[in-house]
This record gives sequence, structure tokens and C-alpha cells, in this order.
Amino acid sequence: MAVSRRSNRSRFTLLLLVLTSVTIITLDFRGDGAGVISTLRDGARDAFAPIRSAAEAVVSPVSDFVGGVTDYGNLESENARLRDRIDELERQEIEAEDAQRERSELLDLLDLRFARDIPQVAARVVAAPVSNFELTVEIDRGRGDGVEEGMPVVAGGGLVGRVVNASDTRAVVLLITDPTSAVGVRLVRSGDVGVAEGTGRRGQLEIEFIDARTRVRSREPVVTSGLQNSIFPPSIPVGRVESAHVPLGSVEQEVTVEPAVDLDRLVFVKVLQWSPAR
Amino acid sequence: MSTVAARFPPVLVGALILHQAVLPDLRLFGVAAEVLLLVAIAAGLAAGPDRGAVTGFVTGLVADLFMHTPFGLSALVYSLTGYAVGRFAGTILRSTRWIPVMTAAVASAGGIVAFAAAGSVLDQGHVVSGPLVTVVAVVALLNGLLSLLVIPATRWALAGDEPRVLAGR
Repeated sequence: MAVSRRSNRSRFTLLLLVLTSVTIITLDFRGDGAGVISTLRDGARDAFAPIRSAAEAVVSPVSDFVGGVTDYGNLESENARLRDRIDELERQEIEAEDAQRERSELLDLLDLRFARDIPQVAARVVAAPVSNFELTVEIDRGRGDGVEEGMPVVAGGGLVGRVVNASDTRAVVLLITDPTSAVGVRLVRSGDVGVAEGTGRRGQLEIEFIDARTRVRSREPVVTSGLQNSIFPPSIPVGRVESAHVPLGSVEQEVTVEPAVDLDRLVFVKVLQWSPAR
Repeated sequence: MSTVAARFPPVLVGALILHQAVLPDLRLFGVAAEVLLLVAIAAGLAAGPDRGAVTGFVTGLVADLFMHTPFGLSALVYSLTGYAVGRFAGTILRSTRWIPVMTAAVASAGGIVAFAAAGSVLDQGHVVSGPLVTVVAVVALLNGLLSLLVIPATRWALAGDEPRVLAGR
């Protein structure tokens, strides 16, 4: 009898908790509690910021070791790939000097200097994502530094992602490889535009809406399209085409892209203080 | 102040520091342990379905503070997981040392799958794309190992008026 009573109480407790959870989820979905929830989340992130920074300094040697052990095979092949890349870059450097001169002249001619005029906020990546279901990083700049939600984030090589949450001192950046990320892009050689979506894997994007008749070349550069209402400014490098093929009966190509930035090894980034309304 | 009210908050804060500041940097194949889910599982093991569900709800809400999935999703999944583990623990007549560890690993895998399933129902399709199998396997492994620390700590925190169910018998 006592066991049955305890069992009934447990079921009642569970029912109560499930109903409470569903109510909270519903409020969050409808946006009714968005202000309160957002304030709670911002407060929690700010409160934990110093602890995360302190822990990172202590834990990073260990995490580097773990990363090295579990990623040894990739490091070896990456080393070989990088040596080849250095040779290629030395050759390209000479060509680039000439191209740079031409580009400067063209920019002067067309007055396409808007990208250079975008104010930037330099930031350091201070934390990896807490969840196993999100490809995000946390940076050490927030609203107090002029960082707002929706602003694009870049690194030396190109596009990193966009700010999805900003508290007073920190901001969360959704990486372009997250499955919820979509970036309007343009293939540099063909000029075709499409949408690059994250695959959930850090080293890969997929472009949709590329016409089956378009000739897409391997290693072709991909940049942001900057079309009207695009959330990213134009001509930011996104990556290079890895592969492209037309599935049987399809009118579109399946194009995979390797990001221009190594998103596993982000240290410093820049937030572009840019919005589509500019 | 009851024993649980005095002991549980420091254990929760410790778990939160692990979850927020330490474990995200200690990843295996890009996946980190889910220590707040593990605390819910440990509560179910140590103090039965009632405490498992309540603890899961609390740790889930805390986890939701730092995620971008709908607020309350982790609370829902963690409380169900804590409850289920408490139910399961009540059916075991004789415990050995490895049963709690195995239970923690399997329940962690179940919790992750439940989170992904609930997420997809709530239009969070991205949680089931990507390397879900890897996430489930690695979280099960890491949480199984971490349970050697977390189960005794949770058992200590929840020791009081409730009868112990499995761990420590």
C-alpha cells in the first residue's frame, strides 16, 4: 500500500514537472516570456564569464593534449597538406602582388570601398559551445563594446558566422557550419548565387540553388553575395568548392564547400558593425 | 534547514562549473560530457523517481540558461530521464559496483536521444542532423566515467529523509 502511494506521488510529481516544462517551452516559443528568459540567459552568461575565462587558462593545456591524441591522424595529413600549400602560396604571392595593384585600381575606378568602411570590433574567442548540438563560440565582447545580434563575424581568412546573442560583456557567434546557418553566396568564377547551409560538421558547407548547367570548378572561391536584404555584406570569402555534382533528375547541383577559416582553431575574430539596412 | 537544502546547492554549483567552464574544453571527437544530465540520472539512482524527476527539472533549467534551444526543453528531458532511471533503479534487487556506471552510460545515451527527438518535434531539426550517433556514443562513455565521481556526490547531497534506492546498497 505504501509503495503504491509513493508510486502515485512520483507520477503526480512527474506530471506536474512535465506540464511546467511544456508551459515554459510554450511561453518561450510564443515569445511571451522572451524578455524574462533573455534577461536570465544574459545574466547567467555574464555571471559565468570570469569563471569560464579562469578555467580556460587551466584546462586548455589538457584539452590541447586530448585534441592532439584524438586528432593525431588528421594532424599528420594536415601537416603534409600545409607544406604543399606553402609552396603554392609562395608562387601565388608573386601573382598576387600584380593582381593587388590591378584590384586597387579597379576599386578606385568603381568606388567599391564599402567593405573597408565597415567599423570592426576585435574579439577573442573565449569558450567552446556548451551544448553538443550547437556549433557556436563565445567571444569576449558584448553590447557594451558595440556588438549586437545579427552582426557578421570574420577572421583573417573570411567569414566565421554571425552574432546570435549578445550580453553586456559577451556574445555568442553561430558558426557558418551550424545546421541552422544560411549564408547568401556567390561563386566567383561563374557568378551564380546560392545559399550556403551548415551541415553540422565544422569542415563543410553545402550550397543550394546552383543551376545544373553551371560549370563549377574544384577549388573555386565562394564569397558572400550581399544581395538585397542579405544579412552579410558582399564579397567576404566563405570558402572554396570541394566537390560538385548533379544528382540524377535534379535541376540543381549539390556543391560542397570547405570553409575559408579553420573554425576549430579560432583565436581572434572581428565583429563587423554592419546591418542590412546600411 | 534540511540536509538536502544545505548539501545540494554546492553540488549543483560544482556540476555547473564543470558543465560551463571545464568540460566544454575537454572534448573527445568534438563532444563534451553532459554533467547536468548526469546529476539527474544520479539523483534517480540514489533517491528514486521522485527526486530524480525534480533534480532533473532543476538541472535542466540551469542547462537551458546556456543554450539556444527552447527554454524548458532540457528541463523536460532531464526530469523524464531522472524519473525513468529512478523507476529502473527500484526494480533492481541486488546491485553491483558496475550497475550504476552502466546505468549512467545507457541513461545518458537515452537522454541525448530523447533531447534530439523532443527537439525535432519542437522544430529544432538541427539537433538530429550532424553527428548524432557520435554524440550519443561519446556522451555515454564520458558520462559513464564521470558517474564514478558524480553518483557519490549526488548520493551525499540527497542523503536525508528519502530512502536510498540503488547506489550504495
